Amino acid sequence: MKFLLPLLAISTVFAAAEEPRVNFLRDVAPILSKSGCMSGTCHGAAKGKNGFKLSLRGYDPQFDYEALLYDLAGRRFNRADPARSLMLTKPTQAVPHGGGLRFDVKSDYYKTIYTWIAQGVVYGDPAKDSVTKLDVAPKEIMMDKPGETASVKVIATFADGGTRDVTREANIDSNVPDLAAVGTHADVKGARIGEATLLIRYQGKFSTVPVTVLNPAPGFAWKQLPQNNYIDKFIDTKLQRLKIQPSQVVDDAGFLRRVSLDLTGQLPDPNEVRAFIADTTPEKIKRSRLIDKLIAGNAFVDHWTLKMGDLLEANRKFMGEKGVYEFDEWIRESFAANKPYDKMVREILSSSGSSYENPAANFFRVTRNPKPTMEVTTQVFLGVRMVCAQCHDHPFERWTQNQYYEMAAFYSGLGIRPGYEVGEEIIYNQRENFDMKHPKDGRIMKPAFIVPASFGRPGPVPTDSSRRLALAEWVTAKDNPFFAKSTVNRYWSYFFGRGIIDPVDDIRASNPPANPALLEAMTKDFIDHSFDLRYLLRTITNSRTYQSSMSVNEWNAKDIENFSHAVPRRLSAEELMDGLTLATGVRPVFTEVPPDTRAEQLPDPHVGKDGFLDLFGRPSRESPCECDRRTDLSLPQALNLVNGKTISDAVSDGGGRIAKAILSGKNDRELIEELYLASYSRPPTATELETSMKYISSGTSGRASRAQDLLWALVNSKGFLYTF
Amino acid sequence: MLVIPGQKSHTCEGPTRRELLRSGSIGLLGLSLAEFLCWQDQAKAAGTLEGSRGFGSAKSVIMVFLQGGPSHIDIWDPKPDAAANIRGEFKPIKTKIPGTHISETMPMMADALQHATLIRSMSYTPNGLFNHTAAIYQMLTGYPPDRVSPSGQLEPPNSADFPTAGSHVSKLKPPKEAVLPFVEMPRPLQESGVIGKGGAAGFLGKAYDPYRMYQDPAKPLQIDDLSLRKDIPKERLKDRFELLKGINGSMPELEKALNAQAIDEYYGKAFDLVLSGKARDAFDLTKEKEAVRERYGMTTFGQGLLLSRRLIEAGTKFVQMNWPAVANGNPEVDSWDTHAANFGPLKNLHCPKLDRGLSALLDDLAQRGLLKETLVVAIGEFGRSPRIGVSTSGNSNAPDGRDHWPYCYSGVVAGCGIAAGAQYGESDQTASSPKDKPVHPNDLLATVYYALGIDPDMEIRNHLNQPRELVKGKVVRDLWA
Repeated sequence: MKFLLPLLAISTVFAAAEEPRVNFLRDVAPILSKSGCMSGTCHGAAKGKNGFKLSLRGYDPQFDYEALLYDLAGRRFNRADPARSLMLTKPTQAVPHGGGLRFDVKSDYYKTIYTWIAQGVVYGDPAKDSVTKLDVAPKEIMMDKPGETASVKVIATFADGGTRDVTREANIDSNVPDLAAVGTHADVKGARIGEATLLIRYQGKFSTVPVTVLNPAPGFAWKQLPQNNYIDKFIDTKLQRLKIQPSQVVDDAGFLRRVSLDLTGQLPDPNEVRAFIADTTPEKIKRSRLIDKLIAGNAFVDHWTLKMGDLLEANRKFMGEKGVYEFDEWIRESFAANKPYDKMVREILSSSGSSYENPAANFFRVTRNPKPTMEVTTQVFLGVRMVCAQCHDHPFERWTQNQYYEMAAFYSGLGIRPGYEVGEEIIYNQRENFDMKHPKDGRIMKPAFIVPASFGRPGPVPTDSSRRLALAEWVTAKDNPFFAKSTVNRYWSYFFGRGIIDPVDDIRASNPPANPALLEAMTKDFIDHSFDLRYLLRTITNSRTYQSSMSVNEWNAKDIENFSHAVPRRLSAEELMDGLTLATGVRPVFTEVPPDTRAEQLPDPHVGKDGFLDLFGRPSRESPCECDRRTDLSLPQALNLVNGKTISDAVSDGGGRIAKAILSGKNDRELIEELYLASYSRPPTATELETSMKYISSGTSGRASRAQDLLWALVNSKGFLYTF
Repeated sequence: MLVIPGQKSHTCEGPTRRELLRSGSIGLLGLSLAEFLCWQDQAKAAGTLEGSRGFGSAKSVIMVFLQGGPSHIDIWDPKPDAAANIRGEFKPIKTKIPGTHISETMPMMADALQHATLIRSMSYTPNGLFNHTAAIYQMLTGYPPDRVSPSGQLEPPNSADFPTAGSHVSKLKPPKEAVLPFVEMPRPLQESGVIGKGGAAGFLGKAYDPYRMYQDPAKPLQIDDLSLRKDIPKERLKDRFELLKGINGSMPELEKALNAQAIDEYYGKAFDLVLSGKARDAFDLTKEKEAVRERYGMTTFGQGLLLSRRLIEAGTKFVQMNWPAVANGNPEVDSWDTHAANFGPLKNLHCPKLDRGLSALLDDLAQRGLLKETLVVAIGEFGRSPRIGVSTSGNSNAPDGRDHWPYCYSGVVAGCGIAAGAQYGESDQTASSPKDKPVHPNDLLATVYYALGIDPDMEIRNHLNQPRELVKGKVVRDLWA
């Protein structure tokens, strides 16, 4: 901290002797923060705004103070006439300000800054003026019905023991703004039934407050549905409290289609549908058997290899052609053998040597450098995003910039050099000169874990380049608070369209789980079963919660977060393509792979690039984020479905399902039934059958042509494009 | 505010905030009331842009992107008084902009500049990498690229890239009718092996990618996905649509659950596009009179510009018309990247096409009244080094070549109320840096968004849901007369 010009300081302090003492840390910084000056789109941006830079969201008050003080040779202050200070004329728009009006000259904020300048722009003493604690009252907000309001009060405690009501300056955000809406005066309005969390931030400290909005409608009487396993118990406990009645289970055909897609990425064959519907075994047993059968099949292995390949960015762009096939095969073998997940991840993270002899080592060829490798490791395996902390302390989490570099230091000894064969690379541990340095001052950052957990050996974290192995142990340790939890959460999201914590790779205190007890129980169960993924998926799919229908009742129609009913999800690009293959009986041909290869079996996004799969959101495998896979629908996609070659050619193919059915002598009714079974995984209803019969037998273009129209319409319909 | 030679004038940007602060009042600075008001207007508009001069004046944009980096001295900004190793081989000619000369290589544009403003103060300093891909990315996304592959080249396009301008526009200003919102032609943005960087929707998702018409518009076009298939005539497609409606209708619960997804809307638009044939017709250049086609020039570039006009007429929001040639080592190819043989090919190959095509576009749009609501931008990713035969980018240059030069170059903007027959900004004696009013590519992008009625300062979210600015630039409001 540099000293101010003493003369100026003394004279202005004297002039303003009557005013209360104002300093930057305690009084001014919160005003700037609340006024949005340090937001990411204003002066908090990486390069500042209009030549003036403050730290993002004010995480570095000393930097901000010095920026204000010394930038532009101190012209931001006019100590003789504070009102002429840029620091006051800008935000009040007395001079043009790109950021518009932040506060006006009559406001308290103006007065505080005015006084601060008049008193000689004192920084304050971090040992006295920094915030040590944030108390928010109430600790929990319960509302009996939507439309109710509540207000929160925020009290900051400073290092010197003093306290202050900072409600007005604190930033209050809701994680579900359309459920709990935060007004401008720390007031909260419950807009719909459910739960949300308020995140309250003030000067680098944060706190959370859960908000519950209950259903006020009279006449709610909980009807207990059968519970298949412990998942349903935890779900029901919460639903009952929120007065949300869950939906009944989906019918057999609906369950078969859903669980086949979710476990294997494939639609069931018409014969499987017929057999499953005809099977009279009690529902629960019958479904459980189906789950076991699907999990034991090859398509299961393909499907989860694809998912894992997305996460690990299996892509020849990084690994070369041979490399990506070897890596894909290694993942496939891991799933085929049901390798415990912790073992699989440990093998990846501790891998070294030739990318051909030890394919798991291809993992490191994607990011190559310590920092991005650390970011990917934490995001993929722990669900924690460290990336924000590279440039600034994480705004919504406790991770600091120092911790970012301490974590990255685990990989600083990671070396990659060319191998002996074409396209081969060797992953090795460097012996010297691999220290991780802090970008600000160049000091050497020692490796340190963000949270404690065991790492395979007693004593301190190793300092040589074997520290990477310690990281692998730590990540996959049973007592790592993120590993099992984030894995369970991520896999859950594949079956429900959202995580219990959502987004799944953004786990932080300010993004709480929708059902903490459930997540905790599942995490423990997963660890107790030695990180057995098949066990985990079996548990999820056997639950009544997973088997819920999308038919809603008056009590759960508006629920989004509590898994009280099924929500339709668009088939993924690969599921869509393989589904079209089943429905039309025509398999698209990809170059470079055997002709019977399914879309779900492709090794990487190079195959079939820029075609149907990419249009429908196949991930490019250039990012470890689940968000890289897209399932929205857009105009170019609709154009392709309506008029593109893929569908139009397939429905009219001379070797396709319709042609074969007609040649085999099927009558209209049988033909229609088969088309429904193949595309909808169920027989048509009586009305559907009647309408379709009428369509096929009318018109002048002939039976085959009309049947093609029907199949075209089926695969273009929502009932095909979505799983529900 | 425009430069009127021989007359000194304050612009809106004239007095800086520093000057004002120093002097303390308007009177002391000698500001006129008009200037003060203009300045105040700017301050006010920062809050809300609605009603500000030029805001929302354009319905659509034609981005004529002269990839490769055209030599500004030899085209738009001749320096006849500079040394021979700077001024080059071409003579200046008069234009419809009083006092402004351009190169003799552009005789038709000398006339057509009556519709446009010539910016001579484009300028930026590259952030690190100094190659085409980085510069194109900067020009069209408003952000410098952040990842470089081990070879020193830029990474190919990926899903974390900043979106190209047209993608933002198709998301933020979607057309109401069934048209292609964003069309890119006749070939991708490219330098050596990196194709399409800066020309994709990046983190907005592929749904906002351009409709890529990578064919030569001077030849008959194959537009299959917009054309009815032979085996599916109109009536059959209508039958299918009716059947589809019925099938969707038989699952009301699913319909209800998917209500918010706007699926029917997309399907409706897709059907309209195919059935109406409007977009397909727009691609049919045989519908134009031969004389019009010839006025644009029977070249890929000329016909591409004519096609651009037809697409805008059909309702497309953003047309990205890329210069059709890229460098391949042959100095006789009409790529703007003239590290060698800058003069002969420029005069005989490049400029005649550019001159004819661009002047035809401006004349045609003006004649049809379309220029009033269309913004035309014609610019490259940088200009070329004032000195001939020297290396400024690390590339080797032949004695008759010019290297990359982003520090000062020119561009043409026209339409939507932008001053007609005007010059904005001035370069120094050697056209190596702006003498006044520098325009950063981000300022130009901000101006494009602003013209379309999009607040350039708005916050967008990237794939990680982090807040980012649409573009960090300052709108060049003085382009509007």
